[in-house]
Amino acid sequence: MTELKTVGKSIERVDIKAKVLGTAVYAADIKLPGMLHGKIVRCFEHAHAKVVHLDLSAAAAVPGVVKVLGPKDVTSKTYNQSVIDLMASKTEGAMLGDIEEQHIFTEHVKFWGDGIAGIIAVSEEVAERAAKLVRVEYEPLPVYITPEESGHPEAVQFTPHKPGNRAFQLPEEMFPGNALGWGDVDKAFEEADLVIEDTFYTPKQKQCQMEPNSYVALYDDSNRLNCWTSGQMPKLVHEKIARLFDLPMSRVTIHQTVVGGGFGARLGMVLEPEICAMALAVPGRPVKIQQPREEDWLTSPSRHPARYWMKIGFRKDGTPLAVDAKSVNFKGGYYLDGSALASTTGFWLQGMYKFENLRYKGESYFTNQPVCGAFRGYGNPQTNFVLEQMIERACVQLDLDPLEWRRKWHKETGDMSWLNATPYTSCALNDCLDRGAEVIGWAQKRKKYANQTGPKRRGIGVAVGNHTSGAFPMILEHTTCTVRLNEDASATVLVACSDMGQGAHTSLTQIAAETLGWPIEDVRLETGDSDANGFDIGAHASRTLYVGGAAIMKACQDARGQLLDRAARILKVNRDELDIDNKTIFVEGEPERSVSAVDICRTGIYNFIDHATGLPEGELGQIQAYVSYKPDQNSPPFFATFVELEVDTETGEVELLELVSSHDIGKAIHPAICEGQMEGGAQQGLGMVLTEEMYFDERGFAINNSFTDYKMLGASDMPKMTSILVENGDPYGPFGAKSVGEAGVVTPVGATANAIYQATGIQFTQGPITPEKILHEIRKRGLTYD
Amino acid sequence: MSSRVLTDFDLLLPGSLEEALEILDRERGAVTVLSGGTDLLVMMKAGFEADKVMSLALLGDLNRLEFDSATGLRIGARTTLAQLVDSPEVRQHYPALWQSARIFATPQLRNTATVVGNLLRGSPAGDCSAAVAALGGTLVMATAGGGRREIDIDDLWVSYGVTARADNELAVELRLPAPDSGTASAFKRLTRVNEDLAKLNVAVCLQMDGDTCKSARFAMGCVAPTMIRLPAAEAIVQGAKVDDETLARAAEAVQQDISPIDDKRSTAEYRRSVAGVYLKRAVQQACGFA
Repeated sequence: MTELKTVGKSIERVDIKAKVLGTAVYAADIKLPGMLHGKIVRCFEHAHAKVVHLDLSAAAAVPGVVKVLGPKDVTSKTYNQSVIDLMASKTEGAMLGDIEEQHIFTEHVKFWGDGIAGIIAVSEEVAERAAKLVRVEYEPLPVYITPEESGHPEAVQFTPHKPGNRAFQLPEEMFPGNALGWGDVDKAFEEADLVIEDTFYTPKQKQCQMEPNSYVALYDDSNRLNCWTSGQMPKLVHEKIARLFDLPMSRVTIHQTVVGGGFGARLGMVLEPEICAMALAVPGRPVKIQQPREEDWLTSPSRHPARYWMKIGFRKDGTPLAVDAKSVNFKGGYYLDGSALASTTGFWLQGMYKFENLRYKGESYFTNQPVCGAFRGYGNPQTNFVLEQMIERACVQLDLDPLEWRRKWHKETGDMSWLNATPYTSCALNDCLDRGAEVIGWAQKRKKYANQTGPKRRGIGVAVGNHTSGAFPMILEHTTCTVRLNEDASATVLVACSDMGQGAHTSLTQIAAETLGWPIEDVRLETGDSDANGFDIGAHASRTLYVGGAAIMKACQDARGQLLDRAARILKVNRDELDIDNKTIFVEGEPERSVSAVDICRTGIYNFIDHATGLPEGELGQIQAYVSYKPDQNSPPFFATFVELEVDTETGEVELLELVSSHDIGKAIHPAICEGQMEGGAQQGLGMVLTEEMYFDERGFAINNSFTDYKMLGASDMPKMTSILVENGDPYGPFGAKSVGEAGVVTPVGATANAIYQATGIQFTQGPITPEKILHEIRKRGLTYD
Repeated sequence: MSSRVLTDFDLLLPGSLEEALEILDRERGAVTVLSGGTDLLVMMKAGFEADKVMSLALLGDLNRLEFDSATGLRIGARTTLAQLVDSPEVRQHYPALWQSARIFATPQLRNTATVVGNLLRGSPAGDCSAAVAALGGTLVMATAGGGRREIDIDDLWVSYGVTARADNELAVELRLPAPDSGTASAFKRLTRVNEDLAKLNVAVCLQMDGDTCKSARFAMGCVAPTMIRLPAAEAIVQGAKVDDETLARAAEAVQQDISPIDDKRSTAEYRRSVAGVYLKRAVQQACGFA
């Protein structure tokens, strides 16, 4: 390969100046002439209730209130705020049991904060004042916090589509016995020398994206519905909104504003249905909703809390004979992407180690809690918390080195990947383990911390994982891209890929520039406009670089090819004999035989007749290339994390000392962005395992739906961190790249739990592992001090 | 549920102390005093209705921070945490107070939040409150017409969120006694993450004569409805040689003084388990053992 000019370099991010200067326009910044303000009236009296009577008259009478909307004043169509259901075929969706059961304003409150009405007023203040005057008579219903409660035969049904309130289980038609896996697990356990089992709990973690949800919508004088939103999947939302309001897609525009963090919280829709319903109620006038953070916490989906049982069997030599597991997820009030999470949690399990036999069952039950949906890792951190602790326990009991065991038994290139449908295309996990172990000093520290005295005990832990690069072959994968060369040969790349703050637009621009052979300044991505952009499934499944990047690469190769074809005809050579440098196309080895790319592009557009010859000055036509790209591969990244920490055994406090993550990412398109993903992921993974959980009281009321009492690790809580990029290249990814977006969150979870295990000799099955839990167990079990 | 919009209120901006006191005298309980506002504005967004808010913003002479080796430290009503952190005298002579200020909330809040405001909030979790309770001191209250009284810090907190301040009084100054060569103090706290409210905090101030403690004041937060002193533990240390054995007994005695509950930040069980450990560590830190 020729030397790369842009790819592989940490260039200045394309969006950084506007973000640093504060000029980037978020949805909250949008102010339109005549703009009204919407407020969603939410139920804060109950977490489960029927609305018996709704009286909006007092609210409507408040001066400045323009319209009040109850359930009957908006479309009666139901919807599913997630968009995952669009990405399965009709047949598959039916087998999976996907449903659309949400109403814009509900008469059956399913969680504390569920929306029951809307107010549109001249100011936010008036709307809020009016909202307080809405009179509601409720019939309280029993509150179900756990699957046992909601799954009870006499429990109130959340929806007639899901008897027993079981939102999902792996369907028999696709997974015989409602389980995925292979072999004969029960028989294998009989042959095992060591069998261990335990039940874990992983918490309801919130994404805490920096930008709270804000929306503006306008049904304009051309009878078009416009919605300004920072959703991470604009094209699917485009279709969902059109369907919900029975409008052709040509009469709906989704304007994607700058996205202030997603992490799954913006996967699909949050308040797009509500804001669009409001806009349709006041044609010609824009309406804005800005949610306070506390409400954002309740209305955008969180990670699924789960109870996760696992049993594993080994031979004495460590051979992993069998794993049997079941995760039961607490779904929250609505279905959303109900079929996906309980499945992927098992996929990550079957993708990691060479178990001879494997069985996994996944279920979800409705609960009276805010909805659960996508969150970075999508079941992977949950499986990591459970599986990696179980492996660690087995290694201790079998007296095996946990690093060596992982090196020996992890899946490899050519083994079946997480969906058990396609093989792993590349795997550099052993390099990750070697390099990470060396940086943190694994061998010496592991030995040193094996025997400690005194109240402060250190531990070092390791965990491994892999993730995905795109949604193929599980659900739909598809990105379209159009590349247009301008009059001066600079390129406009039309693509709907989202930059949620992860830096995708920079990396994608690098791929376009590198492929075309243009400097970065001569390439612009045009995104965020659902009219201009073709289809893209949106930012999820760590796919934007791997799939979106490949689509852009193919379109740019096509545009470059068209340019070379024209040059070849001018220079009367074969296209393969040509090369491009500095926008000059020349014959290789004969640089004096050249033609300017700018001239070709310009004359294709300003196509004048040469008076001397009577012929056009060049070939007619602006160069444009288009691809509709569906990958036929998935190149999962592998990764390892090492965590060193110190437990204060008198207080249960954990001090994080060092974290080293090494990722087999194939090729870093923009190394600093990759490191940013790994570090940001580590912060969320450490939060999940140590501090973060949404709590509810027995009434189902949220206790900590704000940053005051929901604690993420801040900069000063973070350990010294090293991010190692292992770049061995993948045969399929663009420039050899694999994903890095979600992966960073996964292994800090297991590695931290394992480090606490080494420090205290205790495994904690209930996340997050707080000082309260640690000290309780230490006091209960006693600690060996010799 | 918080609102993004503050409800309507009248903002009163007295230009002099006397004017402020007259307002308080006239309005009595109908006016809420705004100093740093870091608690008040958050409470108002969450629904606390203050029809009249009197800001101390124009009372420039209330932000004093003066140390005198004979008379001690004077902290004005508007003196911020950031001012304390920047003061070498506070750092040298009142380590407990300096340590509590240094880790208080976040840099942004420290630039605005006031020491006196922290005391008058009446929260059992206030970090500066713990330090002041251990160091001892008085809060100078002013009333219209030149009235003055001093409230001993031990008498300030009546119950959760309630103080001994009368509704016509304005706290104008906090006075802390001058330390002598045997004074040792320290502050420690436990939080969920570094930038957080305490789930337990402790401050100690000991008058030492060599290894022996002549007198001690221990204060602990988040273990009762108000910030409390720890009399049982103080009694064990006073007059005793401060060694491991004494500290172990003092740590044990803390159990008699505290009545923690489960709340958002921690559990009663946990607070009971760590209270003695943290008292011990605070004393060790004050005396330079740790």
